[in-house]
Amino acid sequence: MNLLVPLPVVLPLLASGVLLVARRHVLLQRLLSLAVLGAVTVDAAVLLVAADRGGPLAVQTAGWAAPLSVTLVADRLSALLLLVSSLVVLIVLLYAIGQGVSGTSEAEPTVFHPIYLTLAAGVGLAFLSGDLFNLFVGFEVMLASSYVLLTLSPTRERVRAGMTYTVTSITSSILFLTAIGLCYAAAGTVNLAHLAARMDGLPAGIREALGALLLVVFGVKAAVVPLHFWLPDSYPVALSKITAVFAALLTKVAVYGLIRTQTLLFPREDVSALLLVLAMATLLVGILGALAQEDINRALSFTLVAHIGYMLFGLALFSLAGLAGAILYLVHHILVQAALFLASGLLQRHRGTTSLRSLGGLADDAPRVALLFFAPAMSISGIPPLAGFVAKLGLLQAGLAAGSILAYAAAATAVATSLLTLVVMARIWVTAFWGAPPQADRQAGEQAGGQAGRGPAARVGSTRAVRFGFSLMDGTAMALLIVGLAVAALAGPLSAVSARAADGLLDRTPYRQAVLQEVRS
Amino acid sequence: MLVLLLSHFGLAASVPFVARRLGRATFVLAAAAPAAALVWAGFRLAEVVSGGSVTASLAWAPQLGLWFALRFDALASAMVALVAGVGVVVLVYCSRYFERDEPGLGRMAGLLVAFAGAMLGLVLADHLLALYVFWELTTVCSFLLIGHRRDEESRHAAVHALLVTTGLGLFMLVGLVLLGQAADTYRISALLAEPPEGGPVSVAVVLILLGAFAKSAQVPFHGWLPAAMVAPTPVSAYLHAAAMVQAGVYLVARLAPAFADVAAWRPLVLSVGLVTMLQGGWRALREDDLKRLLALGTVSQLGLLMVLFGAGSRTAALAGVAVLLAHGLFKAALFLTAGVADRQTGTTRLDGSTGLWRRMPGLFGAAVLAAASMAGLPPLLGYVGKEAAYEAFLHEGVPALVLAGIVAGSILTVGYSVRYLWGAFGGKPHTLTAAPVPLPRVLGLVAPAATLALASLGLGLLPGEVHVLAAAYADVFAGGEEYHLALWSGWTPAFLLSAVTIAAGLALHPLRQWIEGAVVRVPDAGAVYRATLRGLDLAAVTVTRRIQVGSLPVYLTVILTTLVATPGVALVSHGALPSTLRLWDTPVQLMLGLLILTASAGVAVARRRFTAVLLLGAAGYGVAALFVVHGAPDLALAQFLVETLLLVVFLFVLRRLPPRFLEARQRPPVSHAGAAALAGLLGVFVGGFFLLAATARRWPSVSAGYLDRAREAGGTNIVNLILVDFRALDTLGEVSVLAVAATGVASLVLVAWRGVGGGDGDPAMTEESEKRRRRRLTPRAREAPRRRWLAAPYGPPLGPRSVLLEAATRIVVPTALVLSAYLLLAGHERTGGGFAGGLVAGMAFVLRYVAGGRYELTAAAPVRPASVIGLGLFVAAGMAVPGWVGGGEIFAGTVLEATLPVLGHVKLVTSFFFDLGIYLVVVGLVLEILTALGAQVEEEGGLAQ
Repeated sequence: MNLLVPLPVVLPLLASGVLLVARRHVLLQRLLSLAVLGAVTVDAAVLLVAADRGGPLAVQTAGWAAPLSVTLVADRLSALLLLVSSLVVLIVLLYAIGQGVSGTSEAEPTVFHPIYLTLAAGVGLAFLSGDLFNLFVGFEVMLASSYVLLTLSPTRERVRAGMTYTVTSITSSILFLTAIGLCYAAAGTVNLAHLAARMDGLPAGIREALGALLLVVFGVKAAVVPLHFWLPDSYPVALSKITAVFAALLTKVAVYGLIRTQTLLFPREDVSALLLVLAMATLLVGILGALAQEDINRALSFTLVAHIGYMLFGLALFSLAGLAGAILYLVHHILVQAALFLASGLLQRHRGTTSLRSLGGLADDAPRVALLFFAPAMSISGIPPLAGFVAKLGLLQAGLAAGSILAYAAAATAVATSLLTLVVMARIWVTAFWGAPPQADRQAGEQAGGQAGRGPAARVGSTRAVRFGFSLMDGTAMALLIVGLAVAALAGPLSAVSARAADGLLDRTPYRQAVLQEVRS
Repeated sequence: MLVLLLSHFGLAASVPFVARRLGRATFVLAAAAPAAALVWAGFRLAEVVSGGSVTASLAWAPQLGLWFALRFDALASAMVALVAGVGVVVLVYCSRYFERDEPGLGRMAGLLVAFAGAMLGLVLADHLLALYVFWELTTVCSFLLIGHRRDEESRHAAVHALLVTTGLGLFMLVGLVLLGQAADTYRISALLAEPPEGGPVSVAVVLILLGAFAKSAQVPFHGWLPAAMVAPTPVSAYLHAAAMVQAGVYLVARLAPAFADVAAWRPLVLSVGLVTMLQGGWRALREDDLKRLLALGTVSQLGLLMVLFGAGSRTAALAGVAVLLAHGLFKAALFLTAGVADRQTGTTRLDGSTGLWRRMPGLFGAAVLAAASMAGLPPLLGYVGKEAAYEAFLHEGVPALVLAGIVAGSILTVGYSVRYLWGAFGGKPHTLTAAPVPLPRVLGLVAPAATLALASLGLGLLPGEVHVLAAAYADVFAGGEEYHLALWSGWTPAFLLSAVTIAAGLALHPLRQWIEGAVVRVPDAGAVYRATLRGLDLAAVTVTRRIQVGSLPVYLTVILTTLVATPGVALVSHGALPSTLRLWDTPVQLMLGLLILTASAGVAVARRRFTAVLLLGAAGYGVAALFVVHGAPDLALAQFLVETLLLVVFLFVLRRLPPRFLEARQRPPVSHAGAAALAGLLGVFVGGFFLLAATARRWPSVSAGYLDRAREAGGTNIVNLILVDFRALDTLGEVSVLAVAATGVASLVLVAWRGVGGGDGDPAMTEESEKRRRRRLTPRAREAPRRRWLAAPYGPPLGPRSVLLEAATRIVVPTALVLSAYLLLAGHERTGGGFAGGLVAGMAFVLRYVAGGRYELTAAAPVRPASVIGLGLFVAAGMAVPGWVGGGEIFAGTVLEATLPVLGHVKLVTSFFFDLGIYLVVVGLVLEILTALGAQVEEEGGLAQ
């Protein structure tokens, strides 16, 4: 079983090497990427079942005992998140292939597949790593890939946004490295389980400062207010498929890092006032930002920032229910953000823009896109019986049960944000889907005369390849929608797994034992 | 029951697909689900009126307390009868009401059935959270149905209804969770059996009431209901008269037995209900649109229902059930007649339809019956309810104000009932008689309205049966005399009040012009809602403009300030500086430190880019020298090589940039002094933190373990062993970063981006054009001259040819390549390794390129750089596999020793191949950068010529 743990890291990197050599073989690129990511998804599912039944699986790479080598650990939390993110990565890959086949985008530039695979490997490494420095490496692999993907088919706008994104990310990486150095200076180890054991023996001031430092580091990467500025300035300009993956995964990996380090290294009994305040600020500033936007992608990016606040809220409670709620919310949010950005990509295919000023009438012209937008939009607004409601309910219950004034305030903020999210989504819906179709567009559509769409798609013509590509794009978005609905339908088992995962976070013994067993014996 | 519910949603999901074939008959098909519910309820009715109940439940997410628990009892049966009964009638009506070519028929039918299902679930739910789920589902259905026509007004009305009901619904959700947590159960029947008490319960009850008020359009949340009248008339009849809006009242009725005695309950419910009743009635009398008049009437009646159910007494509850049923029936019937009037005359204006009663006597009859029930005339159900209502507040020690309010409200009700009949059917002298419109399909439209009106009459004639049902619910309220619902209870005060009410109400009609002109205005809830949204938008724009300024320096300042502030507070609280502090091991460290600081400061103040780059290099070399002083030659070597390579790369980049940094045209967003202060603060913070952290340590570092195991791993160079063996996974990650970075640079530089827009769906830049461009920029190996070194007729990229440079190149390059091979091979035992080796080889290529240009480079390395990188990555990642396949862990190395002819004793550590992978990636990286940047430089040179 332990053989399966490194697979999500090693396999994509091997394949990426192959694809860098075989750059021109489009078919090979597509098939190999699909096969590898499919295998990773299956592997993640197996890991989840194994970790859920038998506790954390730890692998000591290079065969040396724990603090010397790099440990990979698959516990319930990492396996669950790995499964969900692999699924999203796989689905978005299919979408990208569909877009490439249809020829409506500059296809997949030749570097797309290898870099996409390293991104997947980075995400996998970040989730599985049981070592603080290796976690940093995982982030670097993921972020380096993201710099390239963000500026794929570079426009002036993308390069400028890439600048903000890259400089901020590298700044936070330098800080991360500094934090690792400080941890090593104080505790003499970077293995997470080993650190956890030693951290308890450090003076309180040093421990708190290290905790706060890591909080800031992951806070930048997770776009926690007031460290969030880079996100809304960079995400919206990338290609939709890229933004879909970024929005689904990157900040969520950082939230994972936050949850992992805060619970494992800096456990506490009571709620964290600092985190609660940050959560409230993130919720409010993010959603107000979304309200002020007139472009769908920008509004969605701000919503992404806002909803990071929900996960912080769950973490800040440091209770079983709170952490379980945060984990469930992570799962939900990974899926729903990807679905929304894919829907936005489809909408762009029909209209060539995401600006609300020049959108309208999509409910009649593209009923499928309407459905693909409406369901995730309602889900993220917390409308039952969709997944967003279940996740939000979990957090609300946890917040109200915490019994501190600040937790009540945060719960109230969370509820208010939920409503404001609905305002944002309802506004997008009535304008883009119910609103009057833009006049110029209508004329263009009449000239094109086809139902294949009136955006750039119409110019390409309607060959079989185009139609196949389009149905692949629609199909993948639909698949994501179905996965999202399945999360709601399977809320029972999922919330149970989340609760067990949260239990594993609070009771650190199984994790530590799994990693350090050879040291003790 | 679960099957019944699911069949609604199943049907809802499937009818849109058959709509194209069935046309308007889709609605009849859709009516099957509520019809089934009606039949099922009919069979179970006997059971529940005798006090029994039918239950079912389904687990959803037990961890979160989510269950679909259903319970069919007396109160639920009244609601089910209403929801399913009116549902069937309305759906049948729809099949005649809409035109054959009306857009979105299937969607409409699906939504109506889905709504019927959600409503059924709502009234059957025996679980607070399940109730909320269905509650919100009805809201979403309502949103989509109100927006059906998609014109501007519909859109606003739909969003208005959605936001108000969902917003207050969220208050309710918080209340429900609080209540559930206080009682430790979300099951309603359990809650009612043992009501929890305490502070949170009071808060919870108030929050829940707010949600109920919004749903049932109570003041001050009532604005959305009249606005929602833009929806198609059948939708108004079903959702916004008979079913959905009664949900709030239903919830109050459901919870009243347990919580009517909570302190805040009665004052809140009674006052809101009364104000709503009077306000709605008054506005209905002044309204000149038929549908809005009925909607305001609904608001008023819902206020009455709130009062009746909220009062928490037996007689009031009896009256409540009667009025609930009566209102659902007569209001839906009236809407259906309004719909016909609309269809026949093309308007819903009060003065629009003239003398319709003459042309459609059947319809008029139905309308009169329904309006009479609304006005509370015997022998209709509305009368039975109103009698009971008067009775309830005449006798049971409630403030007389409540009774007065109800009477006044009822007078208004009589008034607007007459007004509706007059408006929809009466002859009005001042309007021209429109040309008679042909009246097709009259029966199909009139029959549903008549059915509902006759049901009002039928139930009014059978008050005993209604009583049995109502009492099955109302008997939970203790006390109260044994009142029976009846048409005739003798010359009671209630009867006299009824007579007064009717007389006064009828008297209002002649006064209509005075009422319409009266200055008594009530505040418009819609205006409040719009102002709130506007305020919200303003706040959003203001806040966002302040925060999202779009300036990278500002963002970085905020991030770094947060960094210093957050952990800084904890550190200062720690505040134990070590007593003895050794400042340096040797004075060289101090000198190097000063050098680095000076160079760094120089970079910040340099005006010329080239100066800045050189100073940056100096700082880097200083750090490398520090490594040497600390006894880390491997690190130092790598750092020296990287710095040198970086200098060369900068040279290429600088050619494209102006020699000086641009002078800021306006004040920079972050002042230089501020930036310097922050940088200084940051340095002090990090330095101090390291000092404190290092002195706080109480354990040996794990690095000692590496020394012990080095032999076992087959080497003596610890740094290299850590890189390729102990922590090979880290290195693999970093190698991937290198590979990605190289690929990224190539993709950024080689793809044309000047002026060419590219977005999703922009085919302007196809793969083909990219290929062509690449081909132009990167020469193929076979195009390059092969015979001799540096014989190419092409000049160097960065200046005129130099004999000295060429000669030096000839000598240095082969030497450097041999050195790089040595470094690669020796890494395990001595200073070196794949990284250093790769860098040295890269330097050799750089030299050759500088001397001879790109063709020279192609001749030296006739492969695509990306392939070298890919191969390197593959080899490095592939080294994970052998140990893995062998049953051990990934990257587990082994030492192979053999004695070969000629070479003698050879020791090979498998991790050598990992080093080789690193070597390849580094070489590939250098080649890729040279090709990409160099090609651009040369192309521009060519253009210039």
